[in-house]
Amino acid sequence: MILIENVSKQYRGSVRPALNNVSIEISKGDFVFLVGASGSGKSSLMRLMLREDVPSSGSVHVLGENLVGIPSRRIPFFRRRLGVVFQDFRLLPNKTVAQNVAFSLEVIGKSQGFIQEAVPDVLRLVGLDGKADRLPSELSGGEQQRVALARAIVNKPAILLADEPTGNLDPATSQDIMALIERINLNGTTVVMATHDRSIVDRLKKRVVELKDGEIIRDQVGGSY
Amino acid sequence: MKFVFKEVAEGISRNVSMVVSIILVTFISLTFVGTASLLQMQIGQMKNYWYDRAQVAIYLCTDVSPDSACPQGEASGDVKTAIEEKLNSATLKPYIEKFYFENHDQAYETFQQQFEGNAVAKYVTKNQLNETFWVKLNNANQGKIITESFTGVAGVEEVRDQRSYLDQIFSILNAASLAAIGVAGLMLISAALLISTTIRLSAFSRRRELGIMRLVGASNFYIQLPFILEGVVAATIGSVLAGGAVLAIVQFFVQGYLAQVLPFTSFVGLADGLLVVPVLIGAGILLAALASGLSIRRYLKI
Repeated sequence: MILIENVSKQYRGSVRPALNNVSIEISKGDFVFLVGASGSGKSSLMRLMLREDVPSSGSVHVLGENLVGIPSRRIPFFRRRLGVVFQDFRLLPNKTVAQNVAFSLEVIGKSQGFIQEAVPDVLRLVGLDGKADRLPSELSGGEQQRVALARAIVNKPAILLADEPTGNLDPATSQDIMALIERINLNGTTVVMATHDRSIVDRLKKRVVELKDGEIIRDQVGGSY
Repeated sequence: MKFVFKEVAEGISRNVSMVVSIILVTFISLTFVGTASLLQMQIGQMKNYWYDRAQVAIYLCTDVSPDSACPQGEASGDVKTAIEEKLNSATLKPYIEKFYFENHDQAYETFQQQFEGNAVAKYVTKNQLNETFWVKLNNANQGKIITESFTGVAGVEEVRDQRSYLDQIFSILNAASLAAIGVAGLMLISAALLISTTIRLSAFSRRRELGIMRLVGASNFYIQLPFILEGVVAATIGSVLAGGAVLAIVQFFVQGYLAQVLPFTSFVGLADGLLVVPVLIGAGILLAALASGLSIRRYLKI
């Protein structure tokens, strides 16, 4: 599903590489935590998986695509098979909950009929039925992250990339969001989640990949922080 | 597709002032382009008309001609006969359509007509005006044949091809139309820059949407098309206005005014104007598509 081999990433103007000879394989249905201090390379790794960036050396294969050589006109179609959520939710403030989710389907050319069916379904799945017409500013942080999750999974992606999705949330809300992400994982979606949240990692007992200074120092199934 | 048009309308309403400035700049620059091309057409028409009428004048010596050209003074009857014979000779005849002789009296009459009301008409005397052989050639380009045959012949003061006067006028008109094209070129450049700035501004104000569109995998078509169309819509309005202005210039200024004042000159008409309009609109659309396409491509890397 995701195969990263001997990847190094050197950003221009910095001496130390952001990633140094990293190799990792993630299978279908896996749930992987990426942990490590800020600047350890978690975000760089996620950017490579999303083809926001290309490695300086090594190869990245995701969903059968070689992301180093992929022609740029195929990148959008590759990204449609991935869902992404971030710490800062990235919702459109002037669109309602339903419009935010629908927007991501409109821009990939889905029919109105499909959108009208899929949006209420996914809002029910994330527990936001009845709030479809609210604006993001009228929602709590946890609810906003649910909207972001709804948007990420409405197109039934094979992989969900989550970059510190609970970073802005209190512990109780974080637990709700993690329960939701676990459910998404149980439905067959591969989840890769970067986090600093020790309690979440310890409680879920999933595979943990720890990065330090751009290198993988631990890759442990059923691990803790 | 509905989404794209919604985005275009939103973009335009968000940047009304910039869109208006695009419209105005394309309007004015394309009006210059249109006017310059009409001027070129006009020059072409006038060349056809006037070159057809241009003659070569063989001016004969008078009493007051400078000694350097006319040491013998007034041209004698023999000189005139010799010239007439030469014009009728086998060498020159094939090139000549017709020629006629203008004596002092006729020259005086013509002069009085041409300079009616001018002070010079009072002072000039008949014998100051040259007697002239007017030669009309079959091909106006071959004036040199006559000039070379008669320059320096005894009794001939000067041989002048009227085309040399026309060429001066046309080179002035040509320079004017080139200047118009130059101004138009500069304004088109500024129009292109303005379009690309506007599009970039528009993209910046929608950067959140664009970021999300890229993340969820919207194709380049969906991301870029609204911006390109935004520029194209504005430029199209501008070029349609320019087309209207060009037609109005032809109808009201050229046909309505110039053609009345100068009835013996043929001017460009609405048919010529209608030929220019689609070119202007096409140029406007192409310019906007290129400018906005390039700028959005540079701004939005996948």
